[in-house]
Amino acid sequence: MTGTVVEKITKEDGRVKVKVVTKILEANDRIALENRRLFDKARVFVVNLMSAPGAGKTSVLEKTLAQGTGLRIGVIEGDIAGSDDAERVEKFGIPVVQINTGGACHLDANMIYEVIGDLPLAELDLLFIENVGNLVCPAEFKVGEDMKVMLLSVTEGHDKPLKYPLMFQESSALILNKMDLVPYTDVDISKIRKDALSLNPNLKIFEVSCRTGAGIAEWTAWLGEQAGKG
Amino acid sequence: MHEVSIAQSIIEIVSGQCRKGGYRSITSIRVRIGRASGIMPDALLFAFDAIKADSPARQAVLEIEEVCVSGRCRDCGRDFSVEGEYVLDCPLCGGLAFEITAGREMDVTDMEVEE
Repeated sequence: MTGTVVEKITKEDGRVKVKVVTKILEANDRIALENRRLFDKARVFVVNLMSAPGAGKTSVLEKTLAQGTGLRIGVIEGDIAGSDDAERVEKFGIPVVQINTGGACHLDANMIYEVIGDLPLAELDLLFIENVGNLVCPAEFKVGEDMKVMLLSVTEGHDKPLKYPLMFQESSALILNKMDLVPYTDVDISKIRKDALSLNPNLKIFEVSCRTGAGIAEWTAWLGEQAGKG
Repeated sequence: MHEVSIAQSIIEIVSGQCRKGGYRSITSIRVRIGRASGIMPDALLFAFDAIKADSPARQAVLEIEEVCVSGRCRDCGRDFSVEGEYVLDCPLCGGLAFEITAGREMDVTDMEVEE
């Protein structure tokens, strides 16, 4: 992370040029680091969960909570409006905080910073931050997470890795959800795997169906290992 | 898609520098935006012009320098640069052992001001 470099140059015609070398997202990155420091201090492993709207982020959370990981889990729900997702997760009797972005297409570090005090961090092992449904912007904004996990539902099509490369490159794991629907579509799962792995050779891929429960055990086992490492 | 947030951050950065330096106003701002950053230059210009009104950058022109996605291939040892947003294999030899060296930039580089 670079700091700001400022240098003033006065040109012959009296115009003043100021050299300002600053990362545009520096302010966000700085707050994300502070969030990370608070999470690390409380020994909470943080997962930034991202996908397009309707891919099944909240369903995967519900299945993960129902499966049981042995971890004490909290959730931050990010939505443009409403608290439907928070209400669904709250039924599991865990701490949930809802953020409404009021139109913004992603969560940023400051939005998370402002709600950290609303969570009992000392009583948590794992915190899910469910981002706003969007396959583009959330990938660019760090929020203080240990890792990013993305979902792609098979009905979104096999062209998505190459159309939205950034999120596939930034994520540690890809959950392919709604696998039970594959027989009813022309989706090519091997192409998704091939393109996603070309973009990110270290990507861990899980084939899951929240409807049938297939693949949830593998995903939660891996998640538990990652959280243990964190 | 988040060009408004990016425009907002640019205005915050240059406004801070403007206050610190005691300048009257900002006439132009230069930024470097990588092709793989997910930012559309036209959308960024539109967003910047839409929100600059109440800032020291209200009369500023935003100049965007686009940066191509570039990399270095460990198979053939050569440097490459592409027009697109991502690289799946080395465009020179087809090798898969490459590293991306540029294309994700999002930086304010300099600005012109009136004293």
